[in-house]
Amino acid sequence: MLCQLCGQREATVHFKEVINGVTRELHLCEVCAEKEGFLSKSFPLPDFSLPSLITGLTEFDTVLPKKEKKCPGCGLSYTQIEKKGKMGCSLCYQTFEEYISPLLEKIHGRVLHRGKVPRRGKMRSKIERQLYQLRQELDKAVKKEEYERAAKLRDKIKKLQKDENFPTTN
Amino acid sequence: MKIFQQLINSPSQWIKEEGPEANIVFSSRVRLARNIQGFVFPPWASNSELKKVSTEILEAAGKSKYFKVSSVIDMEKLSFLERRFLLERHLISDEFVDNGKYRFLVATEGEIISLMINEEDHLRLQSILPGLQLMEAWKLSDKVDNDLEEYLNYAFSPQRGYLTSCPTNVGTGMRASCMIHLPSLVATNRIRDVLKGVSQLGLITRGLYGEGTSSRGDFFQISNQVTLGLKEEQILNSVERVTRRVVEEEKRAREVLLKNNSAKIKDEIGRAYGILTNAYLISSEEALQLLSKIRLGIGLGFLSGLKIGILNELFILIEPAQIQIMEGKSLNPFSRDRTRAKIIKEKLTIHPPGQMHGCMDV
Repeated sequence: MLCQLCGQREATVHFKEVINGVTRELHLCEVCAEKEGFLSKSFPLPDFSLPSLITGLTEFDTVLPKKEKKCPGCGLSYTQIEKKGKMGCSLCYQTFEEYISPLLEKIHGRVLHRGKVPRRGKMRSKIERQLYQLRQELDKAVKKEEYERAAKLRDKIKKLQKDENFPTTN
Repeated sequence: MKIFQQLINSPSQWIKEEGPEANIVFSSRVRLARNIQGFVFPPWASNSELKKVSTEILEAAGKSKYFKVSSVIDMEKLSFLERRFLLERHLISDEFVDNGKYRFLVATEGEIISLMINEEDHLRLQSILPGLQLMEAWKLSDKVDNDLEEYLNYAFSPQRGYLTSCPTNVGTGMRASCMIHLPSLVATNRIRDVLKGVSQLGLITRGLYGEGTSSRGDFFQISNQVTLGLKEEQILNSVERVTRRVVEEEKRAREVLLKNNSAKIKDEIGRAYGILTNAYLISSEEALQLLSKIRLGIGLGFLSGLKIGILNELFILIEPAQIQIMEGKSLNPFSRDRTRAKIIKEKLTIHPPGQMHGCMDV
């Protein structure tokens, strides 16, 4: 099956949502799914809503940061990186996301890592999962007006977020 | 330099030993690229940054159980010849040969595992094994990588994987390669088609010393191009599968050669042996060409007294820097050709192949 957005690549990401009893399915390729924010919440892109992408490609250009923007990690601009063909530091991958993503797709035909995760990375995803669960519980607690429980959950979340504060690129 | 001397005296284990499919597959190598979080990548780093990060990695290697018996070499302290020597031994890359401060090589005894510090990435870890043993080489690299990670904080993103200097390495940071000897595919002019087939499967083929080098002595390297979006095992499987197919092609070409041109092939191998054991002067080009024939001869079962391991060793030993370092002085091309001829004669006659006419008695 081909991606419903670009219609070019194989759809590998499948979503199903039920709104008011109506089931909708979405089949996207990795690249579009990532662009739409379905796969990587931690790599925030400028607001690419589905309609804005479809209606105007011109908008796409205007939201791109200027190539002269400097990476906060190494102080390099994308123009410099492009010239040498070498990234400056690990933060560059995030800073110049808009340029890197299509480049990676061209080189590898894929954009998302599926291989080995370092031990620290595993810990990180575990904490991310825990955070997600806690936030859901917090939502429920607030809805049910269980404020005492909500406060406890909030503190737990804050503490975890602090623990999570080992160096990451995100 | 004492440490360097140790390296010279201890032969590379992966060259001498015979692995699976040794007749055709020379070696299997798995290289991992890693960077340390919070440091600018080497191509952009200042000397003080390079110094800091190299200290950190050397400390980690010092703590790791895999580097208990190993040599640490400061590249800056080596002569150009000594750096060429390490390149010829497949311990460092072309880029590493060029001068640079705060660049180190850490190599274990037997040179199975080695680290290049501050090459294009902060850390390049390689495991190299004889014959077709890609999975084993990966397991080794993986273990060493895990051990080093105890002491180092790798630059990693859940989306992009291991972050590398060049986007062509990002993700797994892994390059898996097999070095294969394909004299019969070259002789039957099928090599072009076979290599084209390999590249259509998304893999890269290169010459003996990696990127941008020509294929001398009928040696070729098959390696993965894609590093992102696939699991390590998938990449390794595809390189291994394709290598096996090429090995089968080479075997078939050998059968064809034997069937159609048996006399011609035997003649070529016999002549190669004759020249190599009697030449007084020999250039590295000619030696590589003739040694390739001898290697094929062993594979075909003609030169029963000779071992593939000796041949593999010779392919390295006859290189210009090896000869000069072993002799302990720089030699002009003429003296090199003389020494080369001596080394080859010695190695090929220490283990006489039954008789001098080994290939004729089949």
